[in-house]
Amino acid sequence: MSKIIIGRYIPGDSLVYKMDPRGKLLITILFILTIFLANNPITYAIITLFCFLAIIATGLKARVFWNGVKPLIGLIFFTSLLQLFFMTGGKVFWHWWIFSISSYGIVNAIYIFVRFTLIILISTVMTVTTMPLEIADAMEWLLKPLKVVKVPVDKIALVISIALRFVPTLFDETLKIMNAQRSRGADFNDGGLIKRAKAIAPILIPLFIHSLETAIDLSTAMESRGYRGSEGRTKYRVLNWSKYDLISLAYFVLLVGLLLIFRTH
Amino acid sequence: MNAKKILRTDLQQMIFLGMIVAMKIILGQFSFGPTTVKVGLGFIGSVLLAYFFGPVWGTIGGGISDLVSSAIFGNQGGFFIGFTLTAMVGPLIYALFLYDHPVKVWRIVASTILVTIIVNIGMNTLWLHLMYGMNFNAALVQRLPKEMIIPWVQMVVIYVVLQAVSRVKIKK
Repeated sequence: MSKIIIGRYIPGDSLVYKMDPRGKLLITILFILTIFLANNPITYAIITLFCFLAIIATGLKARVFWNGVKPLIGLIFFTSLLQLFFMTGGKVFWHWWIFSISSYGIVNAIYIFVRFTLIILISTVMTVTTMPLEIADAMEWLLKPLKVVKVPVDKIALVISIALRFVPTLFDETLKIMNAQRSRGADFNDGGLIKRAKAIAPILIPLFIHSLETAIDLSTAMESRGYRGSEGRTKYRVLNWSKYDLISLAYFVLLVGLLLIFRTH
Repeated sequence: MNAKKILRTDLQQMIFLGMIVAMKIILGQFSFGPTTVKVGLGFIGSVLLAYFFGPVWGTIGGGISDLVSSAIFGNQGGFFIGFTLTAMVGPLIYALFLYDHPVKVWRIVASTILVTIIVNIGMNTLWLHLMYGMNFNAALVQRLPKEMIIPWVQMVVIYVVLQAVSRVKIKK
């Protein structure tokens, strides 16, 4: 297997780690949707407080979460600045051509900054406390209701597992191919955009052939071992709901209740 | 034997789909070009999904790639179902032009322009507007300059890649 670190999982033993991955995924999605309920300073303060409580509950250092936000901080600032200069409404403090700074623009820029940051932070809580394979299992569980409308959930689950299994292998293979092509004189960092675009084919084709050959070998191996789809298969990793999922659900219900009470109607 | 016809069983197709999804995720981590106009390689994965699996499984593969990518690397900017939809519509548009058709320049140009307008400019801007409450016009201003340059580079890459993969032969 690859030596590269796939995923951002950090081992731990706090309350958040004890939750079922299905519960964590569900709460994360619901939390992101709930952010839209905030529409005034009080509701934004409440949701920020709840987000920070979730961060504290992970028992991880603040640096972990800062690392999640850091790569996007420039983009968040730029986005907020665009809002600041393009939004109109309320008291206008400054105006030039199509740009203006208004009270509405200032408030909106702050809201967008907070919303952007909270979504990244809560997604980081999920990804640093849950292993990628657990997230994949949770996704498979979330997709199960689609079976009713004849969506081939079993096949989708197989594709998810294959993709998860082969990302590290293909990542290594890609680096190996790039190094091999470099040793033959290929230059990926020189020349114009078109020259660099054309340089992609010598990396992609060997990678593609490797994938195709692996697919054929793997399917032959699976069929020779009697693989007949997901019918009657048991799970190696069994997911179990726990009392911690109930606690997080109660925490979430409390958040929604407070937001509904304090939001501007 | 041609790469498209070598996959005999349903299981082989599904495993190959998983491999192409994995390729798409990996390619999404690489980019080329100067810092001002970085071209990500994730779109090649969308094109391969469309070319080999058509509109149905290509679309599903696109969605899976977004889900798996967020499970592995964690979505920068947070998970949002809209971006999963974006990852699905890209391969769908490419598939309508490229699946079961010979590789022609006009097909590549038309599909890339449609993906740029509908997916990159339209849908992605809409998701930013919905997710972060960004002003739609401000989000457009932020996105448009990049989207005026990148599609033309993508067209060259797609043509080179499809010409190459359509000639792949494997002896088994």
